[in-house]
Amino acid sequence: MVAPLIPMGVIPESWNNVFAVILGFGFGFALESAGFSSSRKIIGTFFGYDFVVLKVFFTAAITAMIGLLYLSYIGWLDFSLLYIHPTFLASAIIGGIVMGIGFSMGGYCPGTSFCGIAIGKIDAMIFMVGMAIGVLIFSEAFPLLEKLYNSGNLGGKLVSDSLGMSKSLFAFLLTVVAVGMFFGATWVEKKVRKVEY
Amino acid sequence: MDRRYTLLAILVVLLAAGLLIIPNKGEKKEIKPDKLLLAINDQARFLSTDAITERIIGGDPTLQLIDVRPAKQFNTYALPNAVNIPLDSILSPSWTELLHQPGKDKVFYSNGDIESDAAWQVCTRNGIPGVFVMKGGLNHWYNTIIKGAEPSNTASGTDLDLYSFRQSARQYFTGSGDQETAQSGNDASTQKPAKVSVERKPAEKSSGGGC
Repeated sequence: MVAPLIPMGVIPESWNNVFAVILGFGFGFALESAGFSSSRKIIGTFFGYDFVVLKVFFTAAITAMIGLLYLSYIGWLDFSLLYIHPTFLASAIIGGIVMGIGFSMGGYCPGTSFCGIAIGKIDAMIFMVGMAIGVLIFSEAFPLLEKLYNSGNLGGKLVSDSLGMSKSLFAFLLTVVAVGMFFGATWVEKKVRKVEY
Repeated sequence: MDRRYTLLAILVVLLAAGLLIIPNKGEKKEIKPDKLLLAINDQARFLSTDAITERIIGGDPTLQLIDVRPAKQFNTYALPNAVNIPLDSILSPSWTELLHQPGKDKVFYSNGDIESDAAWQVCTRNGIPGVFVMKGGLNHWYNTIIKGAEPSNTASGTDLDLYSFRQSARQYFTGSGDQETAQSGNDASTQKPAKVSVERKPAEKSSGGGC
C-alpha cells in the first residue's frame, strides 16, 4: 500500500468529502487550540507583539515537508502523484496583497474567522459578512478580472526546481531559516511592549 | 526560552539534516523504458473513428478530444468540442491540468495518426494516464464517416449495420445523410431528395403472462 491513497485507488474517490470534513474539524480544533480565534493574535504578527501565527504555520509546513520526504524515501508515498497546485504568479501577488490588507484590517483569515464564530465572537461574524461581500463583488466582477485571474500560469512548480536544487537541500535550508525565524521572532516579542489580551 | 522548545527546534533541524544524507532517489516522473515499450506494443491505445463518432454523438462527458495539428488547421476544421494543443506545445504547463483530468479519456487526433501517436508517446512517457489515439486521424474519419462507401449487396450484416450507423453520423455532422450533398454543400442542382427508409418493427407478440 503506497500513498497517496485516493489517487492510488486504495480508497475510493467518493471518500474525498468525508476526509475533507474530518480534516476540517481537525484544522478548526488546531486553530482554536493555538488561540487563533482571537483577532488580536493575527494582528500581533503585524505589530510585532505575538508571532504565534508565524510559528504555527511554519511548523506545520516544515513538519509536513520533512514527513513527506521521509515517507517518499521509504517508499510509502509516490511523490509524483501528489497534486501540486499550479502557480499563477500575477494573481498570487495581487491576491496576496489584498488578503494581507484584509488580514491586518480585520484580524482574521477565513479559517480563523469561522473559529471565532464558533465560540461566539462578534468581530468574527462581522468579518465573515465582509468576506461574503468581497466574494460577491469578486464573482460579479469576474468577467473583468478573468484575464488577470488566469494569467502567468507556471503549472505545478516547486521552489526547489526553480532554484535548481534538490528537494532535500531546499527542505534543510527552509527548516534552518524557519527555526532561525522562530528564535528571531521570540527575541522581537521580548523587545516589543507586551500586550495583554 | 523554554528548554523544551529549544530541544524540539534542534530535533527538527536534525531531521531535516537527515534528508541530506539519504540518497536522492530519481525524482523523474517518467515511466521506465520497459513499461513504455509494453505500452507502445499494446494496440489498445488506438480508438476507431466509429467509436469516437459514437461517443461524440452520444455527448459522452468522459471524452476529451485533443487536436494536435497547428492552430491554423484547427481553426479551419475540427471535431466538435475538441481542444487544440499543437504537438510542439504539448508539454506546456498551461495544458498540464487538462491532460491530468481524472476520469477523462484524452483522445489525440491529427490529420493521420503520426503526430497524434507522437503526442501519445510523450504523454505516456510523462506518466499521464488515460491517453488514446484516434486511429487513422481526421483523414480516415472523413473517408469513413463523411465519404463512407456503400457496402456491396453481399456484405455481412455487421457491415450493413456499420454503414447505416455511418450514414446517421454523416447526417449528424453535415446535416444531410446523403453523401453527394454532404460533399457538395448546399448546391441545389446536386441535391437529391433524401430517401426515407422506414424500418418496420415486427409486431410484438403478447407475452404469455405478466402482471
